[in-house]
Amino acid sequence: MTAEQPPAGGFKRSTLNARVENIFDHTTDTRSLFLSLTSGKHLRFVPGQFISITIPLGDEMRSRPYSIASDPEERGPFEICFNRVAGGRGAQWLFDRRVGDTLDFSGPFGTFTIDRAPDAELCFIAEGTAIAPIRPMLKRALASPSASRIHLIYAAPDRDHILYAAELEQLMRTAPNLSYESVIAPGQIYDRLFELAEARWVIGDADRTRHFYICGVGKGVIRLRDLLRGAGYERRAVHYEQW
Amino acid sequence: MAKLRIQFENGDPEKVIEFDPAKAPFHHDGKPGSILDVMLGHGIHLEHACGGNCACTTCHVIVKQGFNKLGESSEQEEDLLDKAPGLTPTSRLGCQAVIEDPNAEIVVVIPRYTINQVSEAAEE
Repeated sequence: MTAEQPPAGGFKRSTLNARVENIFDHTTDTRSLFLSLTSGKHLRFVPGQFISITIPLGDEMRSRPYSIASDPEERGPFEICFNRVAGGRGAQWLFDRRVGDTLDFSGPFGTFTIDRAPDAELCFIAEGTAIAPIRPMLKRALASPSASRIHLIYAAPDRDHILYAAELEQLMRTAPNLSYESVIAPGQIYDRLFELAEARWVIGDADRTRHFYICGVGKGVIRLRDLLRGAGYERRAVHYEQW
Repeated sequence: MAKLRIQFENGDPEKVIEFDPAKAPFHHDGKPGSILDVMLGHGIHLEHACGGNCACTTCHVIVKQGFNKLGESSEQEEDLLDKAPGLTPTSRLGCQAVIEDPNAEIVVVIPRYTINQVSEAAEE
């Protein structure tokens, strides 16, 4: 651990330091960094959590959250995945990192997690880089002893932005209880996700025992939450993370 | 002028901020005019690991006075608060609790622990 100056009138924030071990470009605007702790230790986290990276913006240090996209069972570097956003200086700073560079972060944080799969049908809904927290959650769920059905609907504006496509296809082929559908929906991702969720899990049958994990950017996540809770699913069975 | 009095459960000295809510935002993170925004804008740290985006509970505060003077909480904030340690009936997320009343006098306590507090246990 490295120490940071205690802030005025608040918690003393603890910071970890990580080195960029590898860089992978999913597309021209979407990148993964593979990080390892400079302490030589392993980062302990629960699938779905994020780290809060300290990023210099102007004359101050700001913290920005990035979900961990890798599996906590993997003992090598952990992975964060992000995309370039218009005017997003934090993401640009990350894009400027090179192999061997180091960065400070705190965490892991977040309660949008799966430690053990619920004993119920499980439905994941994600779009774009929001697959990052879902990816380790899906793997954890598949590794759980429950044989309940698991569904993943993953949307992106085009085929290139379906991240981890080969891995997800492979998981579907090898896990008999997994159904996976990628959805290409340029410009109207949440309309399409809403239609699919409604058709399958609201109109499709009267079963209201499923658990949902929804992750994405913008108010479409809240629309999906309201659709499912409004249809009678338990409030605490509809988990979501909106960025 | 509105007044925000901040007490720290870890024993740090109390801070008092007087401010004009109409001048929000004061910083960059959290809802404009929120407790987080006001504190950061006046040089007082409040943890906000998710960047003030209502995606964690690290900015959990307990409102001791003026709870009804704050903007209403959303379902999203309530969902997160359910997972905050030490939840009380007057708990709010600092990034979401907006002070709009120019005459409000708000007293908040910053809890000692949060569910997300980073620790050496994150390394193994």
